[in-house]
Amino acid sequence: MSDGVLLLAAWLAGFAGMGWFALAMETHWRQACSEAAGPPAARLRAAGTIALTASLALCLYVDHPSMAALVWVMSLAAAALAVAFLLSWRARWLRVLLFGKPRN
Amino acid sequence: MFQTFRQAMTWLHTWFGLLLGFVLVVVFFFGSLSVFDREIDRWAIPESRFAPQPMPSFDRVLRPVFESMQPSRESVDLMRDRVNGPMPEHFDVVRQWSAYTTHRDPVLGLFAGYEVPNAKDPEEAVWGERTIDPRDGRVLSDDHFKIGSQFFYPLHYSLTLEWREIGYWIVGFSALMMLVALVSGVVIHRKLFRELFTFRPDKHQRSVLDLHNMTGVVALPFHFFFAFTGLVIFAGIYFPLTETQLKPLHDRHERIEAAETGLPHDRAGVAAPLASVDAMVAEAQRRWHARGMAGDVGFLSVQHVGDANAYVSVYRAGTDRIALTGEGIHFKASTGELLREDPPATTVDSVNEFLTGLHLQHFRHWLLRWFYVLGGLTGCVCITTGFVFFVEKRKRQHARQDSRGARLVDAMAVTTVTGMLLATLGILIANRLLPETSPDGWPGRGDLERYVFWGTWALAMTHAFWRGAPVARGERNPAWREQVLAVGALAVLAALLNWATTGDHLIRTIRAGYWPVAGVDLSLLAGAAIAFLVARRLARRTPPRARTEPAHV
Repeated sequence: MSDGVLLLAAWLAGFAGMGWFALAMETHWRQACSEAAGPPAARLRAAGTIALTASLALCLYVDHPSMAALVWVMSLAAAALAVAFLLSWRARWLRVLLFGKPRN
Repeated sequence: MFQTFRQAMTWLHTWFGLLLGFVLVVVFFFGSLSVFDREIDRWAIPESRFAPQPMPSFDRVLRPVFESMQPSRESVDLMRDRVNGPMPEHFDVVRQWSAYTTHRDPVLGLFAGYEVPNAKDPEEAVWGERTIDPRDGRVLSDDHFKIGSQFFYPLHYSLTLEWREIGYWIVGFSALMMLVALVSGVVIHRKLFRELFTFRPDKHQRSVLDLHNMTGVVALPFHFFFAFTGLVIFAGIYFPLTETQLKPLHDRHERIEAAETGLPHDRAGVAAPLASVDAMVAEAQRRWHARGMAGDVGFLSVQHVGDANAYVSVYRAGTDRIALTGEGIHFKASTGELLREDPPATTVDSVNEFLTGLHLQHFRHWLLRWFYVLGGLTGCVCITTGFVFFVEKRKRQHARQDSRGARLVDAMAVTTVTGMLLATLGILIANRLLPETSPDGWPGRGDLERYVFWGTWALAMTHAFWRGAPVARGERNPAWREQVLAVGALAVLAALLNWATTGDHLIRTIRAGYWPVAGVDLSLLAGAAIAFLVARRLARRTPPRARTEPAHV
């Protein structure tokens, strides 16, 4: 696979990770789903951690470690911005990260 | 004075942030543009719009050009009162020739330093500079102003205030206070993680603060590392120990180092010819290849030209990693004999190389470049929203007390934010409209472009202050919207002028895959689109208390 595709995958993993971290928070969970029940916070955070780690692994696979570290940190910043703006603009779209139905 | 630590931090953050924010927003914005300085150069100099070139043959292309060079008139004039007696007409003793290129440069910059007879400080030299087309050695006009690398980039680190290097000091102090602002900001914020993703639009002051916090926090590592590494890069200017107290030690160290490395510190005073430099370059590339490294030459220099002690240094263009390394290989100029291969960096050197390389970006990684632009622009948004919050919080109170504070700060914010964008577009437009050569008696083309830049900025400032009366009544300054609209219009105009004057419209540049020019045009158009959206939001009728965010950049 080309580096571009792998880096896109790294960013998407970062985006998913940041999204899960956001959904693990009560306020943002309510923005995304009008579920009565609160977020399965522990599971969402675990998923977030795995996704961010995967994102780092992909960055390391593509570039020299010194470069990969910077690419990863900056791509997380971009991912966090994207999640934040999505939450304030089309919060429900984030449900895509819950694969359609909020799990409890 | 303050009851709690947080109050003290709030005071610090508010006032230092406000004062130095005006400098920092300029540093952040032109820093963001400098990420693509070479690409902006291509846009500004149409005859240099071709693919990046490797370092050309020294023997065939570079040497004849170097031999025809002389120091620039400005450099000679600057030196005039630092010599005993008159300056010579012609400078014969060449101290150094050097050529520098990157993986993004179609044209090649050549530099030559000359010894000055009877100089009060014999270490000083006069300098000449040339830009050539490396494909055939053709010399490009010196009057073609490289707006990206020779103007936006120096603005980023010195504000182009050259008098006593005052610009470096202002920027350095601002960078130091930026670190303070980041730390104090984190202390004030409290809900750092809980509100990481929080942006509540249409909540007036709250939205502005949300945006300020969010852009500050998500790019916190970027802001921190860039302020810090910027200081590391110029540490030699801020702590000029080797030029002041420790000068004797420094000079002695230079000689000892010369003895250890075998690279002569001084001329021998005996003339000697120059062997084939191309053969030395080929040997250097063979050695890099043997170490498994990409072998493009980034920097090539000949020291003590024409002397028996002359040596040639060949440095690698370090495009494959962050660290700013060269893996230099040095040869005796008269014979081509290998003098020295730079050893692997020590740990301290490696850290330094990583930190400076992180900031100076010699690497080849387009995505990371764009991420840097994003980081820089989030910095701009963070500072701008800081200004807006400062004004919003105070303007009604100031209106009641008949104080002019909020009005002043608001007008300065308009000047530094939208005024800076207008000035930037002004120089790009001037670049496309000014005649190829200035009429006799006029300043050079590059100077005129600079005057347009500062003139536009001054006009924007006048406009911001002239329109500022409503702020004193607790309302919004209409200059925000008017200037944002002007930004949109001028950005479109700049892209259209590029088409009209060079024929390089977007369809052509994109189809040809010439991204330097297509990228600048697309960024101009994207900026225009954002500007028009922001202007529309600003035009919405809002009660005086309700204000939407004007920050874009």
